[in-house]
Amino acid sequence: MSQPSLPSPPQQPALQSDSNVQQPAPGQAPASTHEGNVSLDNVISIITTATSPSQLSSQLKSFAPKDVREVVLASLLPDGQDPLTVLDMQANTLGIIYILSARMHTTGAPNPPLEYVQEFCKSFAPEQARLAPDRVTLVAKGIPLLAEAAGNLKLAIQPLFDLLARYSPSLSHLTTIHPVFLKTCVSAHQFAAALPVLAHPITTIDLSISDLHYNDNLVYHYAGGMVYAALKRWSEAEELFEICVCSPGPSAAALQMEALKKMILVQLIREGKPTPPPKYIHPALPRLLKGTPYSLFVNAYPQQRAQLCSIVENEQQLFATEKTLGLITQALERAPRWSIRKLTATYLTLHLSDIGQAVGIESEDEVQSLILDMIESSEISAQLSADGTVSFSDPPVNFEKADVDRVLAHAQEQGALLAKLEKEMARSKEYLSKVRCFDSPVLRLRIYFLSIILSEPPTELKRFLVCVFSDRWSASML
Amino acid sequence: MEIDPIDTEISNVHAPTQPRRRAVRPVDDAHPFDLDAYISSYTGRTAVDRLINITASCPSIAPQALKLAFTHLQRLRDPSLVQIAISAYESVASLPEGQGLPPVGDVVLIDTHWIEETTKKNVAERTKLEVELKTYSNNMIKESIRMGHRDLGDFWRATGDYSTALKHYTKSREFCSTSQHVLDMCLSVLELVIEQRNYAHIPSYIYKAEGALDTAAALATGAAGSNPGAPVQPVSKKPSAEREQVQSKLDFALALSYLGQGNYGKAASSFLRLGPAEQLGDWVGKLVAPGDIAIYGTLCALASLSRSAIKAQLIDNPVFSVYIEQEPYVRDLIQAYMASDFRTTLDLLSRYSTRHYIDIHLGVHVNDITQQIRNTAIVLYFKPFETIRLERMSAAFGWSVEEVEREVVALIQSGQIQGRVDSQNKILKAKKTDHRAELFAHAMKTASDIASTNRKLLLRMRLQQADLVVKGPKSNTRREQAPGPEAMAMAEMS
Repeated sequence: MSQPSLPSPPQQPALQSDSNVQQPAPGQAPASTHEGNVSLDNVISIITTATSPSQLSSQLKSFAPKDVREVVLASLLPDGQDPLTVLDMQANTLGIIYILSARMHTTGAPNPPLEYVQEFCKSFAPEQARLAPDRVTLVAKGIPLLAEAAGNLKLAIQPLFDLLARYSPSLSHLTTIHPVFLKTCVSAHQFAAALPVLAHPITTIDLSISDLHYNDNLVYHYAGGMVYAALKRWSEAEELFEICVCSPGPSAAALQMEALKKMILVQLIREGKPTPPPKYIHPALPRLLKGTPYSLFVNAYPQQRAQLCSIVENEQQLFATEKTLGLITQALERAPRWSIRKLTATYLTLHLSDIGQAVGIESEDEVQSLILDMIESSEISAQLSADGTVSFSDPPVNFEKADVDRVLAHAQEQGALLAKLEKEMARSKEYLSKVRCFDSPVLRLRIYFLSIILSEPPTELKRFLVCVFSDRWSASML
Repeated sequence: MEIDPIDTEISNVHAPTQPRRRAVRPVDDAHPFDLDAYISSYTGRTAVDRLINITASCPSIAPQALKLAFTHLQRLRDPSLVQIAISAYESVASLPEGQGLPPVGDVVLIDTHWIEETTKKNVAERTKLEVELKTYSNNMIKESIRMGHRDLGDFWRATGDYSTALKHYTKSREFCSTSQHVLDMCLSVLELVIEQRNYAHIPSYIYKAEGALDTAAALATGAAGSNPGAPVQPVSKKPSAEREQVQSKLDFALALSYLGQGNYGKAASSFLRLGPAEQLGDWVGKLVAPGDIAIYGTLCALASLSRSAIKAQLIDNPVFSVYIEQEPYVRDLIQAYMASDFRTTLDLLSRYSTRHYIDIHLGVHVNDITQQIRNTAIVLYFKPFETIRLERMSAAFGWSVEEVEREVVALIQSGQIQGRVDSQNKILKAKKTDHRAELFAHAMKTASDIASTNRKLLLRMRLQQADLVVKGPKSNTRREQAPGPEAMAMAEMS
């Protein structure tokens, strides 16, 4: 374990300010009737001598009133030594996390050196860290601040990634580190760095290892969508935006509205038309979108090029402030392509000039280069003859057996996963308590008759009924 | 003097709609139109309305129409119509097509004496009716109040102030004591809104009237049943005939409202279900002529119904064929359409287009209806072919090749024809679909769609289980976080 030598200059002023704030701390400690003397020395000794991490965690959580505790944790040892140098990264992970987080968020406290944080993120013990999820969140939030103070936000990405990878039990667990990491990637323009994390879709939420807020979920998926959009991986971007837009809840967040705007633009770029949102979207969102220039833009897309241009021109200010101008411009650029795609469904042959007329581009050369480009990127299948006639043909379709097998295997995997989840649900306490309501002999008989009438297996029917009638009272209506 | 503001108001309402509403319709050998025969089937206000409409849109017969309008006018009691008729004539005379029309003074003589007389009479009657209503209201005799409102409604309707008339009619509803009264009120209102061409209003009064009709019928049968000694036969016979008559009127109003709202499919089936013309009672002539019903029903049917439906509902419909007798060319139209002789069909449509355009109810829809008939004609024509030269189609329809191409392309894009156009060689080819490949593509797409939906739903479920749902206005405090990163990202992308 390398102990990076602590830079001495920032230590000196910090010490002074520390001794100032440390003064009231011991005086206050007896007043709070807490056993032991509250000083960093004692804390360090508690950390180093603790036998079980969970005991240590509860001790650290409650050894003094909150504000005092933070100040103590953020202070240096009496002889000016940095407490971090005393502790072992593996053995005392929990203690270090407490000290780091306090140092990062207490004003006036000496910032922990970035090299130390980097090293720590690479080698800490995740089992200990999971005992203090709130402090881990603080550390994660502190890392970008540290990097910013060091003048280079990019420095935060690697430690955050290490922290995230080591801390979460698997990459499909959502943690509070996820949104911080992605936001840092987006702000630092390091989009590719986020891909290893985004490659694992979130499927598990475990509140015991991370104190999540609904916003963490929204921000993570929103920022993920931005990353993919910046890398022009539209389908993934659309999916992540959609997750953000359709997150459950009795009300809608402003972030979801932003995500909806971006999602629709991404859909225009990807498909040439908006796809209707899932039914479970919050109804206020599409309603709010209706009055905006975005819905005008979508309605005019892709045929009325002149109108599109005028919308963009008139609303440039708005698009620029809402930071969608980039996507809008890209969608606008792609509009002729969608018009041409439409033409291929209508015509077998068409002259370049006719295409230009239909699409709204004056110069024939421009149309020609556009068509060549589309043929090259196999967006359309067509032939361009010397006299300027374009003959469209149906795109060749060929499916390999391997493709089909891959899809099948994927489906089976999903099926197995769902079956597993269903069994889990059937074991769960809530479900069982609901089922019990249905176990009276009379009800069982009625369910049996119902199953005959509806020609459904009784077990399926019962499961359905359990979901519909959630308690004994409503079950008695049967 | 009270009449004057109303009069200007109405002509203001008419004025802006005229230039936009229709271009000038020719009346000549190619577009025959017999004004006298046409107008003879109408009486009362609708005749004047129609004549004014004709004056405004057909310069070649405008003087004749204006003259006729004035003769009909004298029998009414709405002096404001004089001004409307004259302004319609003047507007058509000011058009380039209307050059050379004689000035108004040469065509008709404005009978100022009649105007003054009528205005005076109107004012007197109005005062009388209002005083009467006031007395009734003071005495609180429900039935008299109802009649007072009804009479005032009738009066305002006759003098052309529709909104006041409607106000009085609806007011009279509060004082209705039997469902027969409600029914009467509804029918008056229906006549009024049809005259006014306010189609959106029609259905609500139809439903009210139907409700009243049901209760009235129930009462009638109940009364007949409670008195066994009475002669049952005539009593039950008479209401049912009356009932049928009212029902026919309601059916007609409903059909007209569908037409007015551009819902041709429903309009067609409603018109084709109508009872014989006798059941419409005084509405024939006062509001509509049987020939109109034939035209409305047939055009809507051709525009929207399938061939088999046309055969079943129109050709094999004895009641409707009586209507068709009124306008013989309609039968030719149907026959040509059913024989797939689309050229004749379209020729007939354009030949009688003047007759259609000048109709006050049908006028605005003629373009849409004609377009729909053309579309179905093209679709039907192309159905049996795999490839066809556009020239052949143009010969069959009597259009130029470019026109055919334009129509066909529009139909392909709207998905009504499954085919593609070879624009260089002018050939229309039916689309060949490789069902096997389609199936594969569909299956693959569905698989990936379901997988991703599954994933999203699972996450959603997890979020709900963990209660990580978007809550209340608290979220607003954190919204400022969002634009930060996005600012930089989008700068990059653009």
